[in-house]
Amino acid sequence: MSDVVERTLTALPSLLSSDPSPGRPSSTSKLGTLIRGITELTSKHDEEKLIQRELVSIKEQVSSPNTTMRQMKELMVRAVYCEMLGYEASFSYIHAIKLAQQGTALDKRVGYLAVSLFLNESHELLLLLVNTVLKDLQSTNLIEVCMALTVVGQVFPKDMIPAILPMVEEKLNHPKEIIRRKAVLALYKFYLIAPNQVQHIHSKFRKALCDKDPGVMSASLHIYLEMVTEKPESYKDLVVSFVTILKQVVGGKLPIDFNYHSVPAPWLQIQLLRILSLLGKNDRSTSEMMYEVLDESLRRAEMNHNITYAILFECVKTIYTIHPKAELLEKAAKCIGNFVLSPKINLKYLGLKALTYVVQQDADLALQHQMTIIECLDHSDLIIKRETLELLFRITNGQNVKVIVEKLLEFLRHSKDDYVTIDLGGKVTELAEKYPSEMISSSLWCMNE
Amino acid sequence: MIKFVLMVNRQGQTRLSRYYQPVELGRRAALEADVVRGCLYRKKEECSFVEYKDFKLVYRHYASLYIVVGITESENELSVYELIHNFVEVLDKYFSRVSELDIMFNMDKVHIILDEMIQNGHVVETNHSRILAPLSALDTLAHS
Repeated sequence: MSDVVERTLTALPSLLSSDPSPGRPSSTSKLGTLIRGITELTSKHDEEKLIQRELVSIKEQVSSPNTTMRQMKELMVRAVYCEMLGYEASFSYIHAIKLAQQGTALDKRVGYLAVSLFLNESHELLLLLVNTVLKDLQSTNLIEVCMALTVVGQVFPKDMIPAILPMVEEKLNHPKEIIRRKAVLALYKFYLIAPNQVQHIHSKFRKALCDKDPGVMSASLHIYLEMVTEKPESYKDLVVSFVTILKQVVGGKLPIDFNYHSVPAPWLQIQLLRILSLLGKNDRSTSEMMYEVLDESLRRAEMNHNITYAILFECVKTIYTIHPKAELLEKAAKCIGNFVLSPKINLKYLGLKALTYVVQQDADLALQHQMTIIECLDHSDLIIKRETLELLFRITNGQNVKVIVEKLLEFLRHSKDDYVTIDLGGKVTELAEKYPSEMISSSLWCMNE
Repeated sequence: MIKFVLMVNRQGQTRLSRYYQPVELGRRAALEADVVRGCLYRKKEECSFVEYKDFKLVYRHYASLYIVVGITESENELSVYELIHNFVEVLDKYFSRVSELDIMFNMDKVHIILDEMIQNGHVVETNHSRILAPLSALDTLAHS
C-alpha cells in the first residue's frame, strides 16, 4: 500500500473538488462533504461546531417521512461517523433499527451495522431488534439470514435468547456452510453472555466440531476454547479429535484458499495449540497424545514468515505448558534461542517473552542467552528494555538482586507512565521483601519516588 | 482477546474504530489520540508491540494510515500483527489497492469486511473469499 500514497496525493485535489469519479461516492455527497469538512479543520472547537450542525441536519432528515431507505442508509453512516469522533447521536438509534427492519440488501446490512456500533447488550432499544432478526432468520433470501445471524453474534439481549434459540439451532443443519458457521458463532455469543441457556445443546457443538466444512469446525473451536478454559477435565475425550484436526491442517489437507502466504490456516493452528495446551497441562497421558503433532508443527513451520513464527511461538508455549518431553523441550529451546538472537526486533521481543514464560522450568535457558539479555537491557527501544526487565525480575536471586533492582529503579526514574511506575514499583518492593539483607546494605533506598 | 481495532492517520484523525469491549463514547477520542501518540513516535527499527496501560497495542503502518489493535496479555502478538496484514490484503482485493480515501468514503463497507473477520474480540474468519462473499453478494444485488 506504500505506493498508494502517490496515488492518493494526486487524487486528492480532484476528489476535494466536485468531480465525482466512477465507483467512488462523490465527495459532494453529504458524507463526502462532512469528511472533507472535518479533514480541513484544525481546531477541536471548529470540529465541534461542524459536527453539531451535521447532527442537527441528520436529525431533521431522519424524522422526515420523505426519506427513502437509501437516504436513511447514508444518514446512518454519517451518524456512525459522528459517534466515531465522539459526538453522541442517540436520536438515530431507533432509525438504525428501522433501517434494518425496512431496508433491503445493503441498506438493511448498514442498518444492522449501525445497530451493532450504536447499541450495547443492555440498551433497551435492542429489544426492538429481536422481531426484525426473527423475521430475517426465516427469510428465503440467504443473504438476509446471514445478516441476521451476524448481528446476533455481535449484540443480542440476553433475556431474549430463548425466543431465538430454536431458530438458530435449526440453522445448524443448513446445507450452506456460511449459515451453519454463522449459527455456531451466534451460539458462541450466547455461550459468552448466558452459558446456562445453551447447556442443553453441547451435543450440537460436537456435531459442529465434526462438520465436514473447516469453517464450521473452526467456529466451534471458539466455544470449545471457552469451555476447556473453564473445565478442562470434561473435554479430555476430545483430545484425539483436536490432535487429528491439527494433524490434517498442518499436513496441508485443507483447501488451498485456507492458506495465508502458503501457510495452512495459521490462526486455526494457533487456536488448536491453545486448546491442546489447556488439555495437556498437568496431565501426562493426555500430553503423550500430543507430542507427535507438536513435533510435526515445529517441523513444518520452517518458512521465514512472521505467521510461521507466530505458530512457532504458540507451539513453544504449548510444549512448555504440558507434561514435559525432553526432545520437544530441546527443540523448543532452540526455537526460543533463534528468536532472541534474531536481528528482527519483533522476534527478539517474542524471544524475551518466551524466555520469561519458560524461565521457571528452565532457568538455564536464560543463562545461556545472558549476553543477549544484557544487550537488550540497554536497547534503545523502551519496549524491549521493559520486557528484559520483566525477564530479569523472574531470574533474580541473592547474587544479582542488587543489580537488577538498580536497573528497575533506573527505568522507573525515566518513566512518566503511571502504569509502569505501579508495575515496576511493585516489583522492586517484592524483591526488597524477598531479599531484605542484600537490599538494606545498599543506598538504593534514597530513591523514594 | 482483541479489545479494539483502530485506523487512524498521521494527523490523528480516526478513519475507523470498532470496540469489542464497551468504551464510553466520551472517552474514545482521548483514548484514540493517546493510543496513536504511543505508536506515532516509534521508530521504524522499534518493535510493533507497545505496552499500553494494562494491555498491549499491536500496530502497523501503511502509507498514511496506522492500524492499531488493542489486545489483552494472553493474545499472540505476532498473529495479530499478521491479522492486520491479512485485513489489508482483503481490503486491497476489494478496493483494488486500497487507499485512505477508499476507507474514508466507504467506512460502512470496511466495517462489513471487518465484521466477517473479527467478532466478540476473536478472529472468526481469515479466508479471503469467505470474508468477501457476503459483501460481494450485496454488491451484486445492488447492481441487479
